[in-house]
Amino acid sequence: MGDRTAAFGSRIIGLSVLSLVCILGIFWGEATSHRLVVGALIGVVLLAYSFIVLFLRKGGFTGV
Amino acid sequence: MYKRWLARLLRWTLRLDVAINRAYPTDFNPLYYTGGLSNLFLTVLVLSGIFLFFYYVPSFNEAYTSVQFITNDVPYGQIIRGIHRYAADAFIIGILLHFFRNWFTERFRFSRDEPWISGMMLLLFAGFIGVTGYVLVWDQRSELLVAMTGGVVGSVPLVGGWLRSMLFGGAGLTNLLLPRMLFLHVGPAVVLYILLWWHYVRIRHPKVWPPAVWTLFSLGLIFLLTGLVPTVSQPAASPAAGPTRLAVDLFYLLPYLGLKYLPPLALFALAVVIVAYGLYIPYQLPETQAEMGLRDSGVAQVIDANCTGCELCYYDCPYDAIVMVPSPHPGVTKAAQARKLFAIVLESRCVECGICIGACPFEALELPRLLEKDVHEKVLSACKS
Repeated sequence: MGDRTAAFGSRIIGLSVLSLVCILGIFWGEATSHRLVVGALIGVVLLAYSFIVLFLRKGGFTGV
Repeated sequence: MYKRWLARLLRWTLRLDVAINRAYPTDFNPLYYTGGLSNLFLTVLVLSGIFLFFYYVPSFNEAYTSVQFITNDVPYGQIIRGIHRYAADAFIIGILLHFFRNWFTERFRFSRDEPWISGMMLLLFAGFIGVTGYVLVWDQRSELLVAMTGGVVGSVPLVGGWLRSMLFGGAGLTNLLLPRMLFLHVGPAVVLYILLWWHYVRIRHPKVWPPAVWTLFSLGLIFLLTGLVPTVSQPAASPAAGPTRLAVDLFYLLPYLGLKYLPPLALFALAVVIVAYGLYIPYQLPETQAEMGLRDSGVAQVIDANCTGCELCYYDCPYDAIVMVPSPHPGVTKAAQARKLFAIVLESRCVECGICIGACPFEALELPRLLEKDVHEKVLSACKS
């Protein structure tokens, strides 16, 4: 695995962890009726996913 | 002058493309998907709009409170309202980016004039729908919008009063205003899809949706904004006190700022001139010598006597403008007498490109205003010159 691929791989792992934390936050927000926080966290998760898709591609994990 | 200016803008646009392509894989470049992104935001608007529609009450007494009820009491109502509001802004940004990109890259010539015209209509309808949406909230901004729009529309000579009455249901604030605004918010949204069909029908492989990375990013950004900057109404409309200042939405209400500097009729005239110029853009540049006469070659026509039903034109047409139907009668030529199928050209899809004529080995298709002998003459004269 090249340096470039490894760098993108570690970013993907970081974003995945961030997503997981946000998912936990969404559960907390729903349980405590902090619905605006839930909305913002859904946004963060989607943004993180978009960067994961981008880094998967730039790191050479998917596509050409 | 205009051509030189356009060439410069084309260079800048392409430089921007190159810069973005360094950061993203080429097929992820968002500028290639401005139309698809607009379509995505329109879908979000329709879905969130359906949700809001079930709770909204279009009457003076209840409109504002029903919006407040959605915002404060309906579970996730404020999120959905925010999504509707921010997707509307994103929709108009997407359309404007699409407009300027296609303008600067001259993607309005030849068969693209119809997508350009339909795109202009989409922009107009989108703006109109946005303004009616702001009126529906029925806060002080809505009241001021009604007054300003009424002033502009009413200033049109001869038909102004009638137009205003048609738009608002009568002079002044009548009970018909909000039901009519609701209709004018939802009805044109349906028309948007008809215009979209017109927009796509003559484009080969239109990019209807953005790639996943931009779909996720756009939706994520909308959700994030919804949570961080919640959508709220202005104070409730009170016709007795009257509104004093307009909270301007940069993407929909900017033209209203013109009323600070121009009388209503001048603003209306300016809007008409801008729209008319927008519609004229595809026809502004003179055709080059090489393009001369190609624009109006006429929709391809099938020569009944020669068509053998071989389907070559059907497979070669990149615009899906040819369909094969059971042959109603035999052809005239020897090859055409045993045909089982017959080619039909769909006029709405044909872009007059001539590919089918090249595909047909039986001389069964022609462009009526650009016959083979015309092409022959053009080639000969080009060779001589």
